[in-house]
Amino acid sequence: MSTFFYSIIGGISYGMVLFLLSAGVSIVFGLMNVVNLAHGMLFMLAAYAGIAVMQAVGSFWLGLVVAVFSAGIVGLIIERGFLRTLYSKQLSQILVCFGFIYIITNLTLWAYGPVPKVLTVPAAFTNSVPIGAYQLSYYRIAIIVVGLVLCGVLYWAQERTKVGAIIRAGMEKPEMVYTLGINLMAVNVGAFFVGSCLSGLAGFLGTGIIGGVTHVTGESVVFLAIAVCIVGGVGSVQGALTGALLIAVLNSLAKTYYPPLAQYMMYILMALVIMVRPSGIVGKK
Amino acid sequence: MSIARPTSGSAPAGPAPRPHLGRRLAYFSPAAVIVVFLLIAPTFLAPDLVHLLTKIVIFALFAMSLDLVFGYSGLWSFGHAGLFAAAAYSVAILVSKVGVTSFWVVAPIGVGVSVITAALFGVFGLRSREIYFMLITFAFGELISVAARTSYKYTGGSNGIWDVPFPNLGFGPAFSKVSYYYFALIVVAIAAVLLYLITKSPFGHSLMGIRDNEVRAKTLGYNTWLRRFLAFVLSGFFAGVAGVLYVFLNRGISPDQAGISNSGLVIMMVIIGGVGTLWGGAIGSAVIIFLNYMISLYTPSRWPLFLGALFIAAVFFAKGGVYPRFVSLWKRVCGYDVRGGRSVERATTDSPPEA
Repeated sequence: MSTFFYSIIGGISYGMVLFLLSAGVSIVFGLMNVVNLAHGMLFMLAAYAGIAVMQAVGSFWLGLVVAVFSAGIVGLIIERGFLRTLYSKQLSQILVCFGFIYIITNLTLWAYGPVPKVLTVPAAFTNSVPIGAYQLSYYRIAIIVVGLVLCGVLYWAQERTKVGAIIRAGMEKPEMVYTLGINLMAVNVGAFFVGSCLSGLAGFLGTGIIGGVTHVTGESVVFLAIAVCIVGGVGSVQGALTGALLIAVLNSLAKTYYPPLAQYMMYILMALVIMVRPSGIVGKK
Repeated sequence: MSIARPTSGSAPAGPAPRPHLGRRLAYFSPAAVIVVFLLIAPTFLAPDLVHLLTKIVIFALFAMSLDLVFGYSGLWSFGHAGLFAAAAYSVAILVSKVGVTSFWVVAPIGVGVSVITAALFGVFGLRSREIYFMLITFAFGELISVAARTSYKYTGGSNGIWDVPFPNLGFGPAFSKVSYYYFALIVVAIAAVLLYLITKSPFGHSLMGIRDNEVRAKTLGYNTWLRRFLAFVLSGFFAGVAGVLYVFLNRGISPDQAGISNSGLVIMMVIIGGVGTLWGGAIGSAVIIFLNYMISLYTPSRWPLFLGALFIAAVFFAKGGVYPRFVSLWKRVCGYDVRGGRSVERATTDSPPEA
């Protein structure tokens, strides 16, 4: 029983990292019809930047702040510099993002080499709670708490604030929003920036539980974000959360009970969702 | 469009007056030069350049097979390397692990596996369109790469399989680099002619019609799902042929060849060459593989950097690709009636391609 419980909790903590990673992709996809495949690069760059600052200064919290904002700023540069000119040209956006994937992956390999960088978790989080024969670290619990709090805040912002209403309206009828004199573009850019920051947060915190960051991390996590979008459906906080938790928990259960299946769990889930509900579990239409 | 030049409109305009024979000969001369070069090149090229040229020829077929779905059907397949690798792995496993050596047994099985894989991609992917189709094929391509990486027993894991000799045809002398080049050239030429005939057939035109306006095609009574599915499976067939040829040339295969980096490479070939032009894929293959070779001579580990820059540059500057641009320039040189170039986006979504 404790095995089951532990693998569920482990899965949820991983699911929170996936949620923070994918929320940005999902919202931006729903809002601007932009699939930001370079999102995984932000995750990776943030992890590298945060760890570098942490090792130089010795402060976990400063590293966290740097990680979050470096991802946000690089995201803004990619959006304002390149993707902005390519709205409604989805193929071109994807190709530009591919270009960034190749370039950033190769530059990171050049700068840091193939050896993984590992995050040193602050002393306060290194303790753990026993669950049966297992030890659940405070760090994983902290990630779950951070994920749930941010999820609550995002959901509240989506459903209860004016910006959230504009975003939801912008997904349905952007022309109507412009007609009402609202600068939807500014909201779009804001959403892109927030999504990028969340990805940075996921990158920094996530390296603590995914076993370090290497130059291929960006490529592999953007793939996870896509899987979350396919499973959960795009354009909403609850969709990203559903997709992330389902993928992470099933993956964790498979790892515990039947490891050979773990690699394929995500694909099986995706195939099922595509056949039953092509727009994702929470997706509209 | 000015009234003075009524023939320069979009696709189904009236027949243009036929240019003089001399002009037509001049117009087709570059194609003739390329054909002659391909036929005589091994007599003066160094062995590693013959290997490079064989690779270009094989990837030309791979890129053209992708263009059948990417350009002609408007299906953005980002998992085509999965089909290519499915065929290559089937052959490699049969030759190296099972010990079947006859080319006439392994090649049809390899292509068959690729066709079946394409059918599975189609069944899942064609539930949706455009961007979702892209995401789903991306995922399934990665799935094949993951499967290859984790089934150590059959696929050799991350290392792949590296002991596939040149094929055994059962007659004639054993293959050398040069004779394998000619073998690949003949197979690719036949496949390219078939692809050309497909794109010019009523079926090929219906694909473009469905791409440009699916609702209209449906209203006219076409089974749009089935036609797209068939296009994808046909494309899988040709990608499989390329995969089989490649595994013998490369002497083996590794999981990287199944993943997104290889799919991205072929997409780049199609885009550089010209989306929806068929021959553009072949030109793109030559450009990309030759660039890869030249850059790798100087800085082998920095190639992805150049490739990435190429991706971004292609989006902003390659408007329609090398092939259509060269064709319109060359037509002007030869005194033909000329049409304007188009962007990548329009070439795939809005308007029919012009060869």
